[in-house]
Amino acid sequence: MPLTKAAAPFVRGGLTVAGMMRNAALALLALLVLPVVHYGPRPLLLAGASVLTCFACRVLVCLVRRTSVSFSEFSVLVTGLSVPMLLPLNAPVWLPCAASAFAVLAAREPFGPFGRNPFNPSAAGVAFAALCWPQRVFSYFDPSRPYGFPLFGRAAYRAAQSPAAVLKEGLKPDILPLDLLWGRTPGPLGTTAILVVGACGLFLFLTRTAKWEITAGFLGAAALIAALYPRILCSPATSVKYELLSGSLLFGAVFLATDPVTSPRTFSGRCVYGAFAGALTMAFRWFGTYEQGVCFALLIANAFAPLLDSAVLRLRGWEGKTHEA
Amino acid sequence: MTARWMTCGVNLEREKEPSLRGEIVALPAPGGLPAPRTFAPLRKKKPGRARILGAAEEAGIVDELDGEPLARKLSRYAARKTRVLAAVCFDDDPLATGEQAVLRENTAQVLAGLELAAAACGAAERKIAAASRREVRRMRGACPGVGFWAAGDRYPALAVLRLRHGAERAGTIGAQACAALAEAAKGRAQCETVVTVAGDGVSRWMNCRVRLGTPVGSVLQAGVPDENPAVVAVESAVNGRAVTDLSEPVGVLTRCVLAFRKLPRRRALPCVGCGRCARACPRGIVPWMILRQLESGAPDPVFLLGVERCIRCGACGAACPSGIGLAAVVARAEAVKEGGAAPCR
Repeated sequence: MPLTKAAAPFVRGGLTVAGMMRNAALALLALLVLPVVHYGPRPLLLAGASVLTCFACRVLVCLVRRTSVSFSEFSVLVTGLSVPMLLPLNAPVWLPCAASAFAVLAAREPFGPFGRNPFNPSAAGVAFAALCWPQRVFSYFDPSRPYGFPLFGRAAYRAAQSPAAVLKEGLKPDILPLDLLWGRTPGPLGTTAILVVGACGLFLFLTRTAKWEITAGFLGAAALIAALYPRILCSPATSVKYELLSGSLLFGAVFLATDPVTSPRTFSGRCVYGAFAGALTMAFRWFGTYEQGVCFALLIANAFAPLLDSAVLRLRGWEGKTHEA
Repeated sequence: MTARWMTCGVNLEREKEPSLRGEIVALPAPGGLPAPRTFAPLRKKKPGRARILGAAEEAGIVDELDGEPLARKLSRYAARKTRVLAAVCFDDDPLATGEQAVLRENTAQVLAGLELAAAACGAAERKIAAASRREVRRMRGACPGVGFWAAGDRYPALAVLRLRHGAERAGTIGAQACAALAEAAKGRAQCETVVTVAGDGVSRWMNCRVRLGTPVGSVLQAGVPDENPAVVAVESAVNGRAVTDLSEPVGVLTRCVLAFRKLPRRRALPCVGCGRCARACPRGIVPWMILRQLESGAPDPVFLLGVERCIRCGACGAACPSGIGLAAVVARAEAVKEGGAAPCR
């Protein structure tokens, strides 16, 4: 029998990049379940169109670069799925497509192969859409009335203010806590169902796909700022509740900030990165024009990620932690 | 017991049950090997240091942990005034179980050998480093007078154990070397070793006691291998080597013969920056930074600090979800740092 001269290791840890991406994609798909149950198949159309755009852009780039097309890493799928989650369901189909095209063509591919992009592609895509078409990105339908959204074409709906927009105006959102948890509030497609986002986060942490310290730092910093400087006249606890549970903050903390490529690689770096991104998000809520600042905050935090890493390693004297002491 | 998808790095406790279930099978020695050598046994009940070292030398005992002759190792420990001597009775490998099986079956021999070895190097305390807390509970009754250490269940458990207990204070010798030392006191040279046969290309996982010098192929046959295994590896599943010639003789360092149906996964993806390699490294090296430095083409030796501490355990490469051969990267960085070798492959 011919034996191969293969190099060690012959066994590996259970985790692979494809597995991590698959877990992230599964968690994102789970976010689609409640919107589909509530409003019909249109969420699937948005997500499908966005994913197809991402794949098409990837193929295009591969053709231009004359490299072989490989989707083994699923990362394009994750980008394509997370973009429509941050956009409203009543947005036209071309909006998530434009955002994901920007995500792949401008934020991901120019930097080389997978793993080199300094900025989170999904955040960049949504930020691009928010800058170009703010009316479309931040107009939500009123989910308290039953609508049947047609698969294609324009739906007649009544616009409503999202809790984040109400907070921006300095008022207290008039929403039942149960609706907030189950996602019966106006807001981006995949981010309103707080319970589902939390469960997906737990799944990602337990499968070690995402790092919990980023999310913990993010939510901790955001909660601290919300408690110290409430935007509305209420007790700190109420302020924390509405700030954390409104808008795409939790989604950003669980899905976008934990992207391993764009976050720091050292533990302390990740803690600081999460806290920094959370504080920036709250700053955008306080001072920004838009009701959502997660994507912008993340892009800024991404720029600091390599810096945080080198700062941490420099503090450790480039020696790393040792068990000898 | 955590599920497979929850673990990170190489879990040592995952695939040991099948080969530990049965007893150690003694394989018949192939023809052509010389008969085991014998010499004058130690007569005194408590022999002196020089006599024990002489017996170990005479018996030609080699420690299976690192391939160092036992006599030399013990005199090194004696010169260093080692206080604790531990018999390593766990296998720092996800598939091998030879040491654990030796402790379970030849407990008295291991203890006798450990006592002799401790006397030879002047260690006051004797310890058994067992695989897990469960193993400690199981063996405690059978081992009076010795303390226990429990090894962790993550791959380089031996390296972590050595670092935790201080390489200066504590010495480690293999369980099989202990047993061989007990035999040497009776005047028998080291002529056997316990080898684990495992891997998904083998249908019967087991430990077998084989004569040193038996071809690897006949050990593999005992495990009823598949028609065409792709790789046969010896020494370790994490940092061992593949053999292409099955007539290669089994040595003390062989430890296990593993047959795999498929080739190990090649590097498929670039670094995603998860930082698991740095967490896996027992020596505090940051392999992803070293990879980044080498890929940049002009590595700054300042940023390659720590590479000379590498012990080649291969934990970084095994933990990498992208399947990057980080152990080789660190080795290359060491060459770059020392002699200014070219950083690119």
